[in-house]
Amino acid sequence: MDSVLRVEGLEKAYGEVKAVQGLTFEVAPGEVLGLVGPNGAGKTSTLRCLAGILPPSSGRILVAGYDLSRTPVDAKRALAFLPDEPRFFEYLTVWEHLNFTARLYGVEDWEERGRALLEEMELTGKEKSLPGELSRGMKQKLSIACGFLHSPKLILLDEPLTGLDPIGIRRMKASLRRRAEEGAALVLSSHLLPLVEELCHRLLVIAGGKAMALGSLEDIRARLSGAEGEHASLEELFVRITSAGTQAP
Amino acid sequence: MSFPRAVAFLWAATWRNRIRRQLERLRKPRYLLGALVGAAYLYSVFFRRLDFRGSVGTVSEGVRLFAELSLIGSALGTLFAAWALGRDRPSLTFSETEVVQLFPAPVPRRALLQYKLVRGLLGTSLGALFATLFLGRTISPHPVLFFVGACLALGTLYLHSTAASFVRTRLSAWGLWGQVARWGAVGGVLALVALAVFTSLREHPVPEDLSSGRALRGWLQALMASPGVAAVLWPGRLLVAPALAQSVSDFLWALPPALALMAAHYGWVLWAEVPFEETAVVRAESRSRERMLRASGRMTRVGSLTLSRPPFRLLPRGRPEVALIWKNLIARKRMGGGFAVFLAFIILGGAIAAMMGDTRLFTDTRRVLGPVALALSVMLTVVGPSAFRMDLRMDLPKLDLLRAMPLTGRQVVRAQLAASSLALATFQLALLAVALVLGPGVEASRLGGWWWPGGLALAFLLPAVSLSGLFVQNAAVVLFPSWVPADTGERARGIEAMGQRLLAVVGTLVVMLVGLIPAGLVALVVGLPVSALLGPWALPVAGFVAAGVLVGEVWLGVMALGRAFERLDVSEDRPE
Repeated sequence: MDSVLRVEGLEKAYGEVKAVQGLTFEVAPGEVLGLVGPNGAGKTSTLRCLAGILPPSSGRILVAGYDLSRTPVDAKRALAFLPDEPRFFEYLTVWEHLNFTARLYGVEDWEERGRALLEEMELTGKEKSLPGELSRGMKQKLSIACGFLHSPKLILLDEPLTGLDPIGIRRMKASLRRRAEEGAALVLSSHLLPLVEELCHRLLVIAGGKAMALGSLEDIRARLSGAEGEHASLEELFVRITSAGTQAP
Repeated sequence: MSFPRAVAFLWAATWRNRIRRQLERLRKPRYLLGALVGAAYLYSVFFRRLDFRGSVGTVSEGVRLFAELSLIGSALGTLFAAWALGRDRPSLTFSETEVVQLFPAPVPRRALLQYKLVRGLLGTSLGALFATLFLGRTISPHPVLFFVGACLALGTLYLHSTAASFVRTRLSAWGLWGQVARWGAVGGVLALVALAVFTSLREHPVPEDLSSGRALRGWLQALMASPGVAAVLWPGRLLVAPALAQSVSDFLWALPPALALMAAHYGWVLWAEVPFEETAVVRAESRSRERMLRASGRMTRVGSLTLSRPPFRLLPRGRPEVALIWKNLIARKRMGGGFAVFLAFIILGGAIAAMMGDTRLFTDTRRVLGPVALALSVMLTVVGPSAFRMDLRMDLPKLDLLRAMPLTGRQVVRAQLAASSLALATFQLALLAVALVLGPGVEASRLGGWWWPGGLALAFLLPAVSLSGLFVQNAAVVLFPSWVPADTGERARGIEAMGQRLLAVVGTLVVMLVGLIPAGLVALVVGLPVSALLGPWALPVAGFVAAGVLVGEVWLGVMALGRAFERLDVSEDRPE
């Protein structure tokens, strides 16, 4: 099956600083790719490039077959980006945010979908609230509801569980799993390794902007030499891979 | 390290790092240029006029009286506000960082209070410095003495407000009896003041003829010297006497009572101290939340928004950029202020005029409103683009959000510009309609033939000029984000930032004027020949053509700006 996301030689530099260097990977429909790495590894820069927020310094990004630099509108229509710090328009209520999103993406049955999403995100009754009146977790949920409204083919998530309570986390995980089962491709960046281990089919470990490992957990385990590699947890693998990455010249 | 030494270190390190950072910024040409322009501006406006070498003449009696009355009035107003307005809670304000760093520290409450008082007094000294820069030369022949006197006066008022808030907190804890005691005292003082003023006015009634300044001054001086009013003004006079001293000996004479008053207030604050931590935490959180909201866009106080209905129903199908126009028009409605401010402006102006003996706004409303509306409509062409900011200036801090939308740069720029220009044009055209219907041209024979053609020309021209003004301001934030920052709520500080802003304003004006030249030329080329045929009605033709040229310029500009918006990479120009 054709991949929903195809990244070829992605690079992003801020002046002299190279935040992302030569990333190449694909994500298939229904697949969840975990993006992990230490602080400052380039995860957020990568996601912001994939979402069309930052122009890449070089490389090519295809979303649902559309080249993000040549046909950005079509590519963006197929994706949703859920940042770690959700941003809203302070003057719009929760319901108006959904209405706004519906017009942007042309979602005809947005009212029905919106109500279902608010129910799913436990935001029913908050339709007339302004973002300033919502808690951190509720804002995160509103961001997710807006992101899911147009049933995107590619969902980019940056620390999606920040601010959620345990029930919210459980619902969120179930929701992400369901979206993947329905055929959406997910790229999930998180420091919560158990979450990544639980949800992701494949992992992309980056450090210093470079890909250090790409594959399923079993693949990565198998690739690591040494007897302890076979049964190592993701945390142990992460430490070994990223330490090697940061020590490399 | 003791707490005072730790605080001294904190302040010294903060200032040192701030100055070092500002000096480091000067390595960049834009900040260096900004610093030079800012310094030149400050020198030409303030410092050039200051002379700290001593007295440079005398202040006229009228100015002195006006200054004395204004300062005493402000001081008494502050005292009244401290006791009658606001909530019954300690007025001390801590930042969230102070709460997190200092409240858990092994420091007694008294030390925290002292810390806050010193900070407050430093703040009032800064206020005194600005007052000296702005007013000192006008009011006092000795700016240095004025500064010291203003420090004492503002500092004492700050201490009084703090002590009053503590006493009010204590009284509110007593329940109903506390409120009765407080309002009884406030009412008693107000009654005494009213009695004193009434008695003095009976002795010195308002003269029938107050047309000359001399007569007004003479009456005011007599009134202020009468025992009743003198008693009311006495605390205020004591407070402002050092600042208003006209000579060194006057200052030295007025200094001891003012110092004693300040010391007494300091003692009162310490005596009246109440637990303030809980209130401080709540206020710090609320301030921090508001700051964050402002930083993410233009946001008023949380909870102060009125949820008015959207301007129109947004259907899910259609041009997607209409969603941005819809959003920005909602923001305009909920930010409020437009019509209410205009109405308040008219009524207040009329009331002031009526107090000065001109009651035409209320007796001959039609004749007054017409010219006022016309003037405002034209004035909005200049100030409107700065006042109506529901566009890229409001949304650029949320660039991530805009960039993730499935819209081209051109669509974003067009929609952002549309909301502000629609709102502004509606306002201008409504004012113009009022002016045309009610204005003097309706009946003045000299204007008769030109009134309606001129009005129609303005109806084409004013919205087009406003649109070009809005475009220039929006283009500036996209093309020069370092020079013209969007509305982040957190303004860059320092002389260099001020200079940058000045340069940006001048640059914006120049670009706008240059843009008007082609429109003016084309209007002349078309209008002059047509005037031979149509007479005054050539005006709307010329206005229409000029407006068309301006709209065409903006259209071309939007195409270019859309591309610039798509290339805009804030990561390359992150704020320092």
